[in-house]
Amino acid sequence: MLFGRKNRKPITIPKKEVKEWKYTTCNYCSTGCAIEIGLNEDKRIVTTRGHAGADVNRGKLCIKGILEHELFESPGRGTEPLIRDKHFEKFEKTTWDNALDTTAKKIKEIQDKYGKDAFAVVSSGQLLTEEFYTLGKLTRGCIGTNNYDGNTTLCMASAVSGYKRSFGSDGPPGCYDDFEHTYCFMAFGSNLPEQHPIIYWRLKEALEKRKFPLIVVDPRVTMLAQFADIHLPITPGTDCVLINSMMYVIINEGLQDQAYIDAHTEGFEAVKALVQDYDPKSAQHICGIDEDRIRSVARLYAKAPSAMSIWTMGINQSTHGSDGVANINNLNLITGNIGKPGGTSLSITGQCNAMGTREWSSCSGLPGYRLLENPDHRQEIADFWGIDPEFFPKKRGLAQTDIFPAIETGDVKGMWIVATNPMTSMANTPRIRKMLESLDFLVVQDVYADVETNQYSHVYFPASVWAEKEGCHTNTERRVSLISNVLPPYANSKPDFWIFNQMAKRFENGQKIKFPETPEGAFEEMKQLSKGANPYGNERTLDISGMSYEKIVKARGIQWPYSEEQDKASGSLKGSPRLYTDGKFQTPTGKANLICVDFYDNNEKPCKDYPFWLNSGRVVEHFHTRTRTGKIGNCNKFSPTPYMEMNPDAARELGIEHQTYVRLTSRRGDAVVLVQLTQRVARDMVFIPFHFHDCVNRLTLGLLDPYSRQPAFKQCSTRIEKVDQAEAARLNAERRNY
Amino acid sequence: MSKVIENSSADVAVQGFDPATMAIGTEQEGRSNHWEVRTQERSYAILPVTEIQKENRYGQLIDLVELTDLPAERSMFINENPEVGSNPNRNKQHGFFFTADNCIGCHACEAACAEKNDTPAHLAFRSVGYVEGGSFPDYKRMNISMACNHCDDPVCLKGCPTKAYTKHAEYGAVLQDPETCFGCGYCTWVCPYNAPQLDPVKGQVSKCNMCVDRLEVGLKPACVSACVGNALDFGVIENTPENREQCKTQIPGFPDPEITHPNIRFQQTKDLPIEMTRTDSMPVKYHRDSDGNYKPVVDQKQGKAKHWNFSRLNSRENPLVLFTLFAQAAFGVFFITFLGAMLGIEALVSFVASDMFLPLTVTSLLMTTFALIMSVTHLGKPMRFYRGFNNLRYSPMAREGLGLAIFSAGCGLTALFALPTNQWVVAFTSANLGVDLVSLTQGLPLTSLVKSAGILALLGGFGGLFYMNKCYQIKARPFWHHLQTATSFVGNSLSLGAFFGGVIVVSSLLISQAPAALVNQASLVFASAFILGMVIEALGLIKHNSDLNRSENEGGAAHYIQCTTFGKTYLFRNWLLAVNIIAAITLLAINLAGYNEPLLLLAWIALALINCFTAAIGRALFYILVIPTTMPGAFFWKNKAFEQHARDIGLADNPATGVAPLAH
Repeated sequence: MLFGRKNRKPITIPKKEVKEWKYTTCNYCSTGCAIEIGLNEDKRIVTTRGHAGADVNRGKLCIKGILEHELFESPGRGTEPLIRDKHFEKFEKTTWDNALDTTAKKIKEIQDKYGKDAFAVVSSGQLLTEEFYTLGKLTRGCIGTNNYDGNTTLCMASAVSGYKRSFGSDGPPGCYDDFEHTYCFMAFGSNLPEQHPIIYWRLKEALEKRKFPLIVVDPRVTMLAQFADIHLPITPGTDCVLINSMMYVIINEGLQDQAYIDAHTEGFEAVKALVQDYDPKSAQHICGIDEDRIRSVARLYAKAPSAMSIWTMGINQSTHGSDGVANINNLNLITGNIGKPGGTSLSITGQCNAMGTREWSSCSGLPGYRLLENPDHRQEIADFWGIDPEFFPKKRGLAQTDIFPAIETGDVKGMWIVATNPMTSMANTPRIRKMLESLDFLVVQDVYADVETNQYSHVYFPASVWAEKEGCHTNTERRVSLISNVLPPYANSKPDFWIFNQMAKRFENGQKIKFPETPEGAFEEMKQLSKGANPYGNERTLDISGMSYEKIVKARGIQWPYSEEQDKASGSLKGSPRLYTDGKFQTPTGKANLICVDFYDNNEKPCKDYPFWLNSGRVVEHFHTRTRTGKIGNCNKFSPTPYMEMNPDAARELGIEHQTYVRLTSRRGDAVVLVQLTQRVARDMVFIPFHFHDCVNRLTLGLLDPYSRQPAFKQCSTRIEKVDQAEAARLNAERRNY
Repeated sequence: MSKVIENSSADVAVQGFDPATMAIGTEQEGRSNHWEVRTQERSYAILPVTEIQKENRYGQLIDLVELTDLPAERSMFINENPEVGSNPNRNKQHGFFFTADNCIGCHACEAACAEKNDTPAHLAFRSVGYVEGGSFPDYKRMNISMACNHCDDPVCLKGCPTKAYTKHAEYGAVLQDPETCFGCGYCTWVCPYNAPQLDPVKGQVSKCNMCVDRLEVGLKPACVSACVGNALDFGVIENTPENREQCKTQIPGFPDPEITHPNIRFQQTKDLPIEMTRTDSMPVKYHRDSDGNYKPVVDQKQGKAKHWNFSRLNSRENPLVLFTLFAQAAFGVFFITFLGAMLGIEALVSFVASDMFLPLTVTSLLMTTFALIMSVTHLGKPMRFYRGFNNLRYSPMAREGLGLAIFSAGCGLTALFALPTNQWVVAFTSANLGVDLVSLTQGLPLTSLVKSAGILALLGGFGGLFYMNKCYQIKARPFWHHLQTATSFVGNSLSLGAFFGGVIVVSSLLISQAPAALVNQASLVFASAFILGMVIEALGLIKHNSDLNRSENEGGAAHYIQCTTFGKTYLFRNWLLAVNIIAAITLLAINLAGYNEPLLLLAWIALALINCFTAAIGRALFYILVIPTTMPGAFFWKNKAFEQHARDIGLADNPATGVAPLAH
C-alpha cells in the first residue's frame, strides 16, 4: 500500500457464489450467442456470462445479453390468466382452464359464424422452434384458419421472398466465418455495431487479422458507415438503382464471372438488357451516389477474389424489399459470389428465432419450407400428422400486414396474438389501434401483462420467457442452438409450448394429432420432416435429422443442413457453414434465377408540407418494443425516452434547439420526441428509434412490398413543429409507463 | 504463469464436453481461487506475458512493491480471502488502454461492469460518452469509455478526509472502501474523470475496483473482456498492446493528464474534425491546437441572452453555502474583536474586558456550531462525521475540519474562562444555583487563560479558513481554482464578521453608555473591516472575471454560464456590491466628519444586510456554476440537463430511467 497507508481496508467485491452454470442461447436478436446462466445454491440466478467455447460469440455478449438474466423478475410480468367481456372493462383473474375453454369456444363461434378464416393467428420470431412447430400444427391442423402469420413480416419477409425468388428456397447461404475469407465486404442498410454487436465483433476480429475493404450503404452516418472505407449515403429507397448501376458497370466492363453465370444461373441476358437503363451517369441522380463512386465500388466488388454482401432492414423494410434482396443476390451471382468462403449474400436476421418461424411455423405454408400450393406437401404433412389433407387450404392466406386490414373490411373478427406487440411495432399505429378495438375477440399471449396490445384483449395468457422454457433457436447463419430450461415458470405463467398443447386438446383434430409432451418430442418430429428431397429431387437444405439436443449442446449449436448421413459420416457436429457450395439451387432446373429488378418510385417523399424524410431504426440497448429492455435499468437508462436525430443546420432554420421537445406530424398522426442535434443525419432527414410506444409508428406509412408484404417503415415524410415544452414533457412522461 | 490460449478461428475443433455439467474446466489450473475462469476462456480476456518497462513516462517506478517495504507475496484479502493471487505481475502498475479509433459506443463494457459489481441503474463505475464533429456526411463521432484511471497521483485519495482510499502496491489499484466513506463527495470534486460515484440513495461513494479479483488469476477486467469493438484493453502500464501502434496520454475530451498522471493510454490515429462538440449540456467543446492535441473551449450552447434564474440559486448545495458563510462570519466576529483588543484598540480592549465579551464569544461559537451542523447534514452518512479527521496527512478538508473544530474549542474555552469574571453569570449562579464562581476560580490566571484560549481560537480559525480555501483550489475545477475563492472567503469573513461583531460591540458600548470616543472608535474599526472585506471580495471578482473571460477551459465555460444563464443575477450582485462599497465609504466619510446620528447606524445596518444578501448570492453561484473537467457524456446518460429534466417531469421516479431522485 502506498501513500503511507498501513492499515488494510477491506476489499469487498460482489461475490456471485455460482454453484452451477446452465447452458442457454440468447433470446434477443438473431446472432445466436451462447450464454451460461449461473445459479447459486438456492437455484437462484446470480450472474451470466458468454460461453467462451461457443463458435458464434466466443464468450462475448452485447449489453442486452449481459443483462438478460434480469428480465425474469421484471415488473409487469403476467402472473395469472386474465379475462373480461369487453376491452374497456377491468380484467379479472381466471384459471388456465377457463381462459383456454373460453378462447377455444370463441374461436369456434367466430369460425362457425363468419368462416374458418375469420379468426386469425399472429405470432412472432421470439418463440422457440418447437413452439412454432406446435403452433403451426395447432393452427394449420386443428383451428384451420388460413390467416396465420408472424411478425417476421415486419422484419424478414423480404429476405425470405428474395431468397426464394433467387435461389428457390429460403435460408441464408453464408455464415460469420465468411468475414475471415472475404476480400470485399459490402453492407446495405445494416448497422452491425448497433443492431448486431457480436456479429460486428466477428467482422472486426477478421479485419484486425487481415484488412479488406468495407463498403457501407446507409443514408445515415452510423458507426459502421463512419468506419467504412467507402460510405455511400444513399437516397432512401433507391438501393435497386445503385445495384443495377453497379451491374451495368460490371457487365459492360466484362468483370462478371461468366463461367459461373453460365453454369449456375438463368436469366442473365434479360438482366444485362435491363441494366442498360442504369448508366451511372443517370443513376447517380436517382440514388444520390456520384457516378465515379458507383464505378469504383462496382469494380472493387467485381474484382475481389471473393466479395460478400450483408443487409438488414435498410433493404427489407422498403417497397423494394424483396427486389432489393433479389438484386443483391443478382450482384453476387454474376460475380460468382455464392456458396464460396468469403462470397455470399448474407441476410442479417432480426429476431432470435425469425429463422425458426420461417423454417417450422407453417406461417407461409407447411413445416420445413413446404408449400400449401404443393399437393404432395399437403399430403405428406397430413399423413404425418394423421389428418385429412383437405383440411389444409390450397394456397397461402394473408400475411400479417394484410390480416390487420382484413379487420377493417370485416373479414377477420377474432385474433390470437402471440409474443408480438403490433400496437407499437406496426406502421401507422393509429390505424392498428382502431382495428384492434373493433375485434369481437382478441386473445393476447405474452410474457408481460402490460404489453400495450393487451389494452384491447379479452383474454390474456401469461407466457413464460426464455430459460423458463426449453427448445431451439436458429440463428442468422442457420445454426440451431438450445435454450435450456433453467428456471421454473414465473408465477402462474406457462411455456408457450404447454399453452399450444392445451389449446389443441380443445379442438377436434387435436384429438387425432399427436402433440408430444416435451419440446424434445416435437424436435424429433421436425427431424423426421426434415429428411429427404425437395420437390425438385434435390437434397433438402433444411435437414436437421443429424441433430439432437445433446449434440447441439455439445457443439454449442449446429448449422443446418446436418443430416443423419453427415452425422454418421463425420460425427464432428460441424454442420454446414454454407449453402449452394456445389452451385445447385432449390429450383426446378437447379440453377439460380437472375431477376430483373426495375425501379419505380412509389415512396412518400419529402414535399413542401412534410419536408423531411422520416427514418427509423434500432438502438443497441433496446430490443423491439422495449417490453423487456425498458424494464432493465442498466439497458433503459441509455435511452429512457424517445428522441430524434436531426441535422443542426435544418434545426437552425426552424429555430429548434438541442434537447427540447418537438412534435412531428405526418399524414397519419403525430409524435412527441426530444431533439438530438447531430450531423449524423442529412439536412432533409430525421431518425427516430422505433422502440417506443406511441412514437415513430404513429407517423409511418408502411407501404407494402408487392412480394413480401413487408412494410416500408423507413421511407415516409414528416413535418416538425415547435411545441410547448411543459406540455410536451408531460405528454412524454405519461406515455412512458416503462 | 498465464496460460496463453489460442484465439481460435471458426475451425476450432469442437471439444467433447458438456458445459452444463462441467462447471470448472482445466483453465483454472495454476491460477488462484479469486475468480472462476470460464471454460475455454479466450486470449482476449487473458493478460499477456510481455516485457515490462522499469519506469513510466513520468519517472514513476512501475514495480510498486519496490516503493513499499511489503513482501512481494502477500494477500490482498479480497472478500477476506487469504490466498495470494497467481498473477506474476501483481505488483506492477496496471492501466487501461483505450483505442478510441475503435469504440462503437455499444455499452457492453458498462453492462459488464454493472453486472459484475451489481451497480444500480443510476450509478456506473464505467461510462461511455462521446464527442462529435464535422458536417453530414463527413461526420465523425468518437466514443469514449472511461472508468477510474488508478492514477500515480490519486487526488481522490489525497482529498478524502476519511481515508477511505488506498493505493495498493498490487496493480497500483486505487480502491475505495464504501464502509469507511461518509459521503461528503469531495473525491468526486477533485477527480478529473468522474471516476468516484456518489450514490445519493445510499449516501456513499463507490468506484471501479479494477476487477482485482480477476486480475489476481491473470484475467483482464470484466469491461475489457466484454469489449465488442476491440477498443478497450488492459495491462501493465506503458505496454502497447499487440496490434496497436500508439501509446499516448491524450484524446479529445480527456482532461489534462498532468493533473493526476492517470494510468490510461490511448490510440487515436484517425483524423478528426478540428472541432469536436459534446452532446450533453456542458458548455464545453474541444479544439485542436497546433500540436494536434484537443483543448477545451467554451461552447455557447445557451446563446448570449442573460437571465435571472433566481430560483435555481436554491440548490442541494445550500448546506455548503450556509456552512461556509456562517463559519467565515463566526471567525470574522471573533477575529476582528479579539485581535483588535490584542492590538490595543481601546474600544475593543474595554469591550473584551466587559460582560458583553461572553455573549460575543458564544455567538461565534453558535455560528460555527451551526455551520458545522450544516456541513454534517451535507454528508451522505452524517453519523460518521467523526471520520472527517482521519486524513490530516493529505486532505485539506480534514484540516479544514480540524481548524474549525479548534476554533470552536477556542471559542468555547474563551467563554468558559470568561464566566467567572462575568458579573451577570456570577450573580446568576450564586442566586439560582448557590455557586460562587469567583471563589471557586480564585487563584486561576483567568485573564491569561482567556487570552490563550482566544489565541487558540484565532489560530484554529485562521487554519480552518486557510484550508477551507485549499479545499476549493482543485485543478479539476478551474472555476474555483483561482484567487477569487480566497478573496471571497476572506472578504466575507471580514464583512459579515464586521456586521455581527459591530452590532454586538457598538450596541453594548452604547447601552453601557461608554464615552462617545470609544463608540466612534469601535464603529470606525468595524466599518473599516466591513469595507475592507467588500473591497477584497470585489477585487477578487474583478480578477476572476478578467481571467475567466480569457480562459478557454471549463472555468471559462462556468463563467459563460454565470454571464448568461445567471447573467442578470451575476450583474445584480456585482452592482449591489459596488454600490454598497461606495455607500459604505460615503457613510464612513460622514462618520469621520463627525456626524454620528443614530439614523446613520440604521444605514450601516441596511448596508450590512444587503451585504449578507450579496454574499449569499455569490456563494450560491460559486457552488452552482462550477464545471468540472469531467468526461463528455451522452445524450441521456451522464447529461446533467437530462437528469434535471427527468427529475422535473417525474421520469426519475421510475428507477429504470437511471436518474436517482435526489436524497437531499
